[in-house]
Amino acid sequence: MSEKPENMEQADKSVSRRDFVKIAGAMAGAAALTQVVNLGKTRGRAQGEHGEGEGPRWGMLIDINKCIGCNYCTYACQAVNNLQDEMIYNTVTTETTRTGVEFFLSRPCMHCDDAPCVHVCPVNATYLRPDGIVTMDYDLCIGCRYCEIACPYDVRVFNWKKHTELSPRVPEYGVPEVPPRPRGVMEKCTFCQHRIDPGVERGLTPGVDPQATPACVIACPTIARIFGDLNDPESPISKALSTTTVTIRLREELSTAPKVYYIPPQEEPSDLTIEGG
Amino acid sequence: MEYIIKPLTIRMGKKEVNIFPLWIALLVVGILFGLVGAYEVFSKGLQVTGLSNQVPWGLWITIDLAAIALGGSAFTFGVIVYLLRIKRMEIVGKLAVLLGFLGYSTAGMVLLFDLGQPLRFWHPVVFWQTHSLLWEITMCVVLYLTVLAAELLPIVLEHPAFTKHPWLERFPFLRKASNGLNWLAHRLHSYGPALAVIGLTLSLLHQASLGATYSVLSGRGLWFNQSAPVQFVLSAMGGGTALLFFLSVVVFRIMRPGLIKDDVLYDVARIAGGIILLCIYIRIWDWAVTNYYSFDIEVALQTEMLNSISPYSTSFWVGQVLFALIPGTIMLLARRVRNFRILMAASVLPVFCTVLVRWNYNFSGLIASITYDPFTPTVVLNSYVPTWQEWSVASLVISYWLLGFSLAARYLPFVSQSHHEHK
Repeated sequence: MSEKPENMEQADKSVSRRDFVKIAGAMAGAAALTQVVNLGKTRGRAQGEHGEGEGPRWGMLIDINKCIGCNYCTYACQAVNNLQDEMIYNTVTTETTRTGVEFFLSRPCMHCDDAPCVHVCPVNATYLRPDGIVTMDYDLCIGCRYCEIACPYDVRVFNWKKHTELSPRVPEYGVPEVPPRPRGVMEKCTFCQHRIDPGVERGLTPGVDPQATPACVIACPTIARIFGDLNDPESPISKALSTTTVTIRLREELSTAPKVYYIPPQEEPSDLTIEGG
Repeated sequence: MEYIIKPLTIRMGKKEVNIFPLWIALLVVGILFGLVGAYEVFSKGLQVTGLSNQVPWGLWITIDLAAIALGGSAFTFGVIVYLLRIKRMEIVGKLAVLLGFLGYSTAGMVLLFDLGQPLRFWHPVVFWQTHSLLWEITMCVVLYLTVLAAELLPIVLEHPAFTKHPWLERFPFLRKASNGLNWLAHRLHSYGPALAVIGLTLSLLHQASLGATYSVLSGRGLWFNQSAPVQFVLSAMGGGTALLFFLSVVVFRIMRPGLIKDDVLYDVARIAGGIILLCIYIRIWDWAVTNYYSFDIEVALQTEMLNSISPYSTSFWVGQVLFALIPGTIMLLARRVRNFRILMAASVLPVFCTVLVRWNYNFSGLIASITYDPFTPTVVLNSYVPTWQEWSVASLVISYWLLGFSLAARYLPFVSQSHHEHK
């Protein structure tokens, strides 16, 4: 081989390097631009992982001993969120203690402080509000269902069909309070943020005033559910938590820090934790 | 330089029949059948699939992961040709770029069907959530598909139709367009090494992240383990190169004889064999460790359950271990075996194994889920059967892949023609 082709190759490369830098610059510019757009959409969504101290931090306490398995919480939830029978944000199942006693476990979204669904969402459609509620932006969701796979509590439900009819639970258990969601997005329990937000604005106290309290809490005939501000020592939930000797949270070993607490069945020994945990 | 293209024929009685048109017709039928399913899915939504809230990812995700994995030879050979500068691999490298492009475009297509909101497919590019593995994968795949297109375009543009077609003389604007394209192809070709580095970076990032997609699911069982990222990268390189070997033999020994030497093909097989064996070595250690450290009661229960169900344990020991170990060894010894029939037969298994690894990773953690009883958790087995609409869409994207490959194998100029004239 003569020298010439090699020189040509070198010249070629120096050009390519300069152009490469140009392209890289243009790409960085484009990337910065998308961030500006992004900020416009998700501005004001300060992540509330460290909700301690200022502002409310909503939580729920469910007394398993009081639950009679009537499913009213599920029905009220379906009515206010206008859900068909197959869509359940709040599930009630029958489980057994280690001594073989059956009990009812009702399971809304745990509103984890360190929520796996929030970490995996590729478009920021599900996020943790500063007040601790894990909620959805149905306009952003692309329906990839990664959050559903990541959720260790199986509380996310996908909207497989287009729903047009009213929920069969209307009007016995309530009336729809939220706008309909499109087909193909992920849905979930929001602690009835549509009740909490306007309620707080009007000076009501969620957990005390029924208009500002989640529908499932209001619907419970045995008052097994207590809702309120975990940061406020005077709230009903804080008082209940301080007087209860044992409370548990589901799958606590996964470090998701759920904000739904349970009072375990009396039949269990008081020092119990999760078996083997 | 002229190249010979032999028609693919089979003997039927006394006649030699050219099967190429029949094959293309079959693929077109596959695409037409797929379009029926595609219409169903887009008009009625994902309710027509067999997916559920318990098993939200199924056949399509497996195809998506497998298509990306089997495109893994593109970055491997980008490094071999452009960075290690092993010139004799250049022509095989062109085929690798083609496989990469086909794999990634197939993956993009099937993902579109899998989204609940297909028209929002661009959201991850605009609404960044940098903690999400899926976001990173989307960005990498979008960027890498661009890189692959830039690598493939010069190869396509070397076809005489773009430089020597009689119309180019008759219509001056076509000549101008041809010159412009030629300039572009030259430019892109000169970026080769840069594109190889970008391709390598993007590929390592997202191939690993595809594994990590499952690793971060701490609440799920068995194969959702911490070494999944390494597994995914290595099995993509191994399985992708095994597929490249198989198709190289089809293209360069059967359809286009004389383009490359047999020794080069043996080397491709050896590269594949080596990577496959390395991958399975790490996998077996990982299996041992995963079974050892399943401290979480629910995860341990799921693992135990899956190990006791024969399809899953068989698919692991036979599909993932045996189907990698034996052909990996044969392919590593390619220079001694020197028999293309044996080597081709061996190279099919790692491709199958690569797909199976994806199926198992995706499926095993979803199929066995736990109840939420805080005291006596039990494992429930879910079920998932793909519907005909899912198979139909699968037929669409696989037919697209095969059609793209078949046409390229027949018409793509693998030897550079303009190269000689310019130098």
